[in-house]
Amino acid sequence: MASLLAGRTGRDLGWPVIGAVALFAVLVGGGLAYQGILGTGAAERLVTVMLIDAIVVVGIQIYIGNTGVLSFGHIGFGAIGGYVFALLAISEAEKLKRIPDAPFGLVGVELPPLVAIACAVAFAVVCAFVVGLGLGRSGAASGAVAATVITLALLFVTHEVARNWPDLTGGDRAGLAFPIRGSLDSRVPTYGALLIALIVARLFARSRRGRLAQAAREDDLAARAMGIDPLVQQMMALLLSVAVVVLGSSLKVWEDGSILPGDFFFQYTLVTLVMLIVGGRNGVTGAVVGVIVMTIGRELARRLGQDGFEVFGIGLDSAPLDWIFRENLQTVFLGAAMLGFMIWRPSGLLDDLEIDDWLRRRLGGAESDVPPALVPAPEAGSSTLSASGIDVRFGGFQALSNAGLEADSGEVVGIIGPNGAGKTTFVNVLTGMVRPTDGTFSIDGRQLAGEPAHELARAGLVRTFQNLRLFGSLTVEENVEVAALVAAEHRGDRSHQDTAALIAQAGLWEHRHRRARELDYGNSRRLELARAAAMAPTFLLLDEPTSGMSDAESVAMVEQVKGMADAVGAGVLVIDHDLAFITGISDRIYVLDHGSVIADGTPAEVQSDKRVKEAYLGSAAT
Amino acid sequence: MVELAQNLIDGLGRGSIYALLALGVAVVFGVMHLLNFAHGELITVSGYAAFWAITNGWSWWLVVPLIIVVAVLTSLVIERLAFSRVRGASQFTLLLTSFGVHFVVSAIFLLYVSASVKNFARPAWTTQSTWALGPLQIETFDTVVIVVTILTLIGTNLLLQRTMFGLALRAAAADFDTARLMGVRSDTVIRGAFALSGLLAGIAGVFWLMRAGSTTPSAGIDPMLKGVLAALIGGLGSLRGAVLGGFALGLAEVLLRSWLPGSIAGLTEGFVFALIALLFIFRPQGFVSVAHAERV
Amino acid sequence: MLEVSGLTTRYGAIAALRSASLHVGSGEVVGLIGPNGAGKTTLLGSIAGLLSPDEGSVRFDGADITGAAPEKLLRSGLALVPEHRRIFVDLTVEENLRIGGITVKASERAELLDEMAETFPVLREKWATPAGYLSGGEAQQLAIARALMSRPRLLMMDEPSLGLAPVLVDLVFELIDRLRSQGRTLLVVEQNAHRMLEVADRAYVLRSGEVVTSGTGAELAARDDLFDTFVGGA
Repeated sequence: MASLLAGRTGRDLGWPVIGAVALFAVLVGGGLAYQGILGTGAAERLVTVMLIDAIVVVGIQIYIGNTGVLSFGHIGFGAIGGYVFALLAISEAEKLKRIPDAPFGLVGVELPPLVAIACAVAFAVVCAFVVGLGLGRSGAASGAVAATVITLALLFVTHEVARNWPDLTGGDRAGLAFPIRGSLDSRVPTYGALLIALIVARLFARSRRGRLAQAAREDDLAARAMGIDPLVQQMMALLLSVAVVVLGSSLKVWEDGSILPGDFFFQYTLVTLVMLIVGGRNGVTGAVVGVIVMTIGRELARRLGQDGFEVFGIGLDSAPLDWIFRENLQTVFLGAAMLGFMIWRPSGLLDDLEIDDWLRRRLGGAESDVPPALVPAPEAGSSTLSASGIDVRFGGFQALSNAGLEADSGEVVGIIGPNGAGKTTFVNVLTGMVRPTDGTFSIDGRQLAGEPAHELARAGLVRTFQNLRLFGSLTVEENVEVAALVAAEHRGDRSHQDTAALIAQAGLWEHRHRRARELDYGNSRRLELARAAAMAPTFLLLDEPTSGMSDAESVAMVEQVKGMADAVGAGVLVIDHDLAFITGISDRIYVLDHGSVIADGTPAEVQSDKRVKEAYLGSAAT
Repeated sequence: MVELAQNLIDGLGRGSIYALLALGVAVVFGVMHLLNFAHGELITVSGYAAFWAITNGWSWWLVVPLIIVVAVLTSLVIERLAFSRVRGASQFTLLLTSFGVHFVVSAIFLLYVSASVKNFARPAWTTQSTWALGPLQIETFDTVVIVVTILTLIGTNLLLQRTMFGLALRAAAADFDTARLMGVRSDTVIRGAFALSGLLAGIAGVFWLMRAGSTTPSAGIDPMLKGVLAALIGGLGSLRGAVLGGFALGLAEVLLRSWLPGSIAGLTEGFVFALIALLFIFRPQGFVSVAHAERV
Repeated sequence: MLEVSGLTTRYGAIAALRSASLHVGSGEVVGLIGPNGAGKTTLLGSIAGLLSPDEGSVRFDGADITGAAPEKLLRSGLALVPEHRRIFVDLTVEENLRIGGITVKASERAELLDEMAETFPVLREKWATPAGYLSGGEAQQLAIARALMSRPRLLMMDEPSLGLAPVLVDLVFELIDRLRSQGRTLLVVEQNAHRMLEVADRAYVLRSGEVVTSGTGAELAARDDLFDTFVGGA
């Protein structure tokens, strides 16, 4: 399992497992202590419920946390799994009493509970695969409304089916109540499932796929531009997440000894989502903390509601507060917690802080403080990028007409032009963000016009963005590593620079553990450059790398770009409005105006070209 | 043929209510990009107001304006307490905020009234009265619903087309920043949108409650779903699409119910949800798409 | 009339505007020129309340309006014709103009509508047409007319000639000239430096977020090194 998840990261996966075990110890230890002190059956039951909730919430976290897609449907998957489990595990005699007309010969089936759980997981995962294809088709991305609505529809469809298919589910009122050879009287299956859930969640988050998913969560467009196809990672996250949720929901059904349609519907969706949000949806530790905090909060609210203001024997005269400490206070508490956190602290108590990161910082050995040096890139064969006859029309507007260029991997080619000349559209065509209406475009003869963005990045043309698109809540190191992960898979024929060396080259070594969104402007630019270089590109395409920089910074950027390009042996296409920067860096320059190339040549030739001056300063009155 | 015509009329009656709900959802989405999962709470709150008024002997003639006024006020209060604090937040935050409002409102009724169903008397004409049109038996209730809905839609259209407020609302929905540059006050237009949304939900709520004759703390889920789904079918951001989506949803429900064999007729809603999920998979932008271009 | 001093605006980590200062006197036409990316649009946006500046101040008729909401600024007499025109494409020409006049009294609004119909004959011809069907030149005229509907005391325009065919560019500059002769106060961002300098009383050159030089239109137009100042060459 671990090696499968680890993929080719070659990273130490020990810490995430240690973190998962630590979280397990906190949950179980805290629970056992609580029930030990109180020593009541109710306390024991509360702890069991908390542990099962933790499994479900951690399961949901795997999807929502890593992909950023809000799902209301996971409890629907939980219902599917719960019913499959119940139908397979209930004894034949019980089924004859409750659902004698059950279809598919289910009456005669009676599996051991653990086998039934395995079947429930398998069935739900198959359903999740189908739903996942649909989510992908709908363009699921972080914060996508269509995807959220599909998951909501799933929750309602399962609910409706459960209510209206009494032959299978026992219907709305009776449900399926059953003793499976007594109810779940041992905690061992729950402990096992919880430990599995935590380990899977932590390993996935650190795995190659998990980290690519997080990159896409931070910025879908930038992820595509780095060669990531987010749909693959989202599917992986969904399947794992549903498997874990169903593990939890089966145990819940087992523990409850019954299942009713209402058990896995809005209320439970609220409970689990609130737990996830309160702790911090982007981290497993956050999810666990949310479960603990909300379990305590709900229990307090329940007791206050039941007994008035008297907990653990400490009481006040309850009369003045009767209007608030009432039954059902806990539902108000849940809703209010959801609202409060969304309004004042949407990232939750812990955000994405993980216990293993914290442990590693405290206990882990000191890491090397000396950045590795770049290894000079071996002489790569020369590559040629060539685009010609590119036309782009938006409605009636001709953004590009017959634009084209040639670039060699050994040179720096500049593209300039006034505002509205079509530079950005040209970049977007070359990087697959805009489909050309007409024209061809190839690298070393491989036709690329109209390919999606991630394919172009994998083919070796890697871009940066004018308005900076970093993976904001990932660290500097993680930003570069994500690109290196993609390169390891899709750019195998190129030599790769060590990510640490690239970070050092970009002057970011001391910032490597900071989040990208905390960097200042110059460092952000340099990080974007290092991230692009880690893709082992054949061509680097820089979109306005000096926009917002002072003249001095622009000059420094020339060296940065040249250094990076040399280090990875890539050709450079650079688009900028700053003629000084462009002439300082480029071997050749193309000038765009009104969607066409109006001039090209060496910097000196272009600078003295009359048409260029006109394009820049405007012509005199006609 | 007669049966189909009968179904179409039933579907229009049902779809009318959905159209009003969907239009309210779409108006708010237009100015705030908030998909309001708490829209149904306007009907929950109005429902309890209606229950209170009727148990205290009010006549329906007074209950109708009460329902509408309560819906408008509730909409404004919710905007003030919750949604005004998350303006411009991420879609994730907006969705969960409205989800949270839904739960808080229903929990308050759970806490201070009770979980049980509260029944109230419905006007007699809503259940028994029909009139004949050739071979068709048409419920008086459906007729009233359709006529009032059409009048409301005409009124809303006039409001949006002919008044400065309507113009400001449309401009803000198209391009909020530019509308502000023209002097459109963001508070006015957002609160106005919530008031209009509440008004439409209030009118829909009158019919919804007349038909249901009861309310519960979670009574808002159903109208919320109908409104949200219809607005989504039509394409979020499009007001016309929302109205069409409402009618489409009403017709789809009635037709499916009559076509599905008796043994699974109970699954009508399930089928409708599944169909809508399929629609989103293949046309995530809805029937009437609103173009969005992201600047790279 | 308008006094901008030391204005700095950042987008996240990007400082798009660095301590820019300028002033516009009553009745003046002031140009703001510079290459794209120089921060011109950011400067106008920061004045008009679309962006909140991080440092510096904006004073209008002596009152500090730094960081005020755009709807408030408009009411104090400051209107912006935004970049790319941003007309409401689904609204008719008339409706676009009405929105522009939302802050004036209804009776006055009717007068202003007549006035615009007279000033911009092309718009009168397409009065009831959705603005999305207008050509680029017509749309630009609509955007300017829409801003005039609020009776601004200072009108700011962001790249009014952007994306227009040369003959329409002429039209835009004629229009600016006409507005000047009506005694209006204008602050215009333009990329077409030569043309702007012809019509401007004074102009500022912005580069990399900083004001690098300023002078009267004629002074700047006469400078041979304008191109170099512009692009930062040599």
